[in-house]
Amino acid sequence: MKQPRRAGRSLFSGTGLFWAPLLALAIVGCGGKEEQRGAPATDKLVLGAYTVPKEAYEKEIIPAFQRLWFERTGRKVVFEQSYEASGAQARAVVEGFEADVVALSLEGDVDKITDAGLITHDWKDGPSRGIITRSVVVIGFRPGNPKNIRSWEDITGPDVDVLYPNPKTSGGAMWCVNAIYGAGLKMSEAATGRADSAQARELLMGVQRRVKVMDKSGRESVTTFERGIGDAIVTYENEALLRRLQGREFPFVVPEATILIENPAAMVDRNVEKHGVRELAGAFVEFLHSDEAQRAFARYGFRPVSPAVMLEFAEKYPTPPMVFDISYLGGWTSVREALYGPDGVWTKVTQELATEER
Amino acid sequence: MNRSWRRRTTDGSQLTLRGIGLGYIGLFVALPIIALGARAFAGGLPRLWENLTQPEALFSLRLTVIMAGAMILINVVMGTLTAWFLVRHRFPLRGLMNALIDLPFAIPTNVTGLMLVVLYGPQSSIGSFLSAGGVEVIYAKPGIVLALLFVTFPFVVRAVQPVLLELDRDVEEAASTLGAGRLAVFRKVILPSLLPAILTGAALSFSRALGEFGSVVMVAGNIPLRTQVAPVFVYGEIESDNPEGALGVSVVLLVGSLVVLILLNLLQRLGRRQDE
Repeated sequence: MKQPRRAGRSLFSGTGLFWAPLLALAIVGCGGKEEQRGAPATDKLVLGAYTVPKEAYEKEIIPAFQRLWFERTGRKVVFEQSYEASGAQARAVVEGFEADVVALSLEGDVDKITDAGLITHDWKDGPSRGIITRSVVVIGFRPGNPKNIRSWEDITGPDVDVLYPNPKTSGGAMWCVNAIYGAGLKMSEAATGRADSAQARELLMGVQRRVKVMDKSGRESVTTFERGIGDAIVTYENEALLRRLQGREFPFVVPEATILIENPAAMVDRNVEKHGVRELAGAFVEFLHSDEAQRAFARYGFRPVSPAVMLEFAEKYPTPPMVFDISYLGGWTSVREALYGPDGVWTKVTQELATEER
Repeated sequence: MNRSWRRRTTDGSQLTLRGIGLGYIGLFVALPIIALGARAFAGGLPRLWENLTQPEALFSLRLTVIMAGAMILINVVMGTLTAWFLVRHRFPLRGLMNALIDLPFAIPTNVTGLMLVVLYGPQSSIGSFLSAGGVEVIYAKPGIVLALLFVTFPFVVRAVQPVLLELDRDVEEAASTLGAGRLAVFRKVILPSLLPAILTGAALSFSRALGEFGSVVMVAGNIPLRTQVAPVFVYGEIESDNPEGALGVSVVLLVGSLVVLILLNLLQRLGRRQDE
């Protein structure tokens, strides 16, 4: 009889009051635990993805996989889904967010998880080298194309306001700057037979000079553009196509020279071991490469990696004549330093532009 | 009997209270700040210095301080006036107006940013009118000041209000019967008693403005070396895997706030000593 009473009193004594906020935090922290007690025939998979393909996963990929898994094993699978900016998602997994499968915007973000020792298998093994979707960087403009935008040079003019996300705050946004810089290299190479970094720098500077707003993510940049700000936006083809899918008008042009965006997905070994879902996670990653999933991605605006499915969608996704991938720029590690490092081209260009009169 | 009871409990309870107070501050404020500091210096001082002296970092710090300074000037004058208006004047809907003051604290800061974009952005009627006159508000520096004003709005008003309420009207009347003009009464009688409260409000607004991210990132345009403030720079450094760069600037923001708050404390202590 005495025990509970004492416990009750201590809660209101000094030390009890002191611990109360911690207790409150602990209770808040435990909020999600209840869900784990599901029916026995249920598996759970934690997906940590970047924000852009959210619609494709929610509406098509996950339901289709749930059907497949049920047919194959007679078990239900529930997904715990988290969508974050790619870099933030990678960081979260490194810091302890227990995602079984990650689907991110760029290879470098998966490398962060590998470097932390959480992915131990060779995730780039396989015909598409761990890549599940592709896209290209495009230029969006206003309906009717009042500023007559067809190429990168057209968005360097004095009467054009340009938007693109900040490559410092969004890993995905680096694709946009990479596309412009690489296009400069490609075009000079086509003209003179030699890739000229000075010309590439000139093009990047010309576009950056016209940039009015740098939002912190690609999605936000599109939202700002749709709010009526700017004449042109450098964005991803899949973002533009998604807007069209939602019934909105979003005219864009695929420049002749642009970068091929490649988005990877991988199983996180440490977490699947902990959760005992290696087989399930492996099946899901495999499913992402299947023609069924590839078709779903293609419907949502992503370029499929499966050659067969790419053929089916050839009309929707024409291949730009001077398309290049990240290896043309020397790979991610080199790009990070050469473009965004303290002496990187983009860093220096923004510094030079700051001293110009506006 | 009453007395002895009180004395016996004072020692015990005071000790517990002190423990709670210190523990609370320590656990929820000091500990995270110490962790931040420790991480910032972990890479060594030269590395921290190198990160801090990048042109982008220095510029963002300078811009943040200038924007916060502009906000303070407006906030101090207008906040004091607003408090005066609310305390000394009767008008319809005064209760409602009074309740509105605290509302900026309850609105998520990115909603604040969005609201400002919708209201003053280039596409809005106010925005297009202003830009026709050559004034850019959103995606330019005035937008930053607007956002900071909104998120710090309650500080000065709420600091000044109670002091105004307590102010002895007799002294003012005495001053004016002795021939002081209205301006003189304000300057010589009212302002000195309000000053500590105004300073408190100003210092709190300043500290708050140094760290403001959510609303500013929406309205500033965020072009490095043009419109990028320190918290947005910090966010960028974290996102691009350079925590040292982020921590260096954060430490400067933190020390800046601390210095302002300590200075304020000293000023108030000085003022109190003069009163005695």
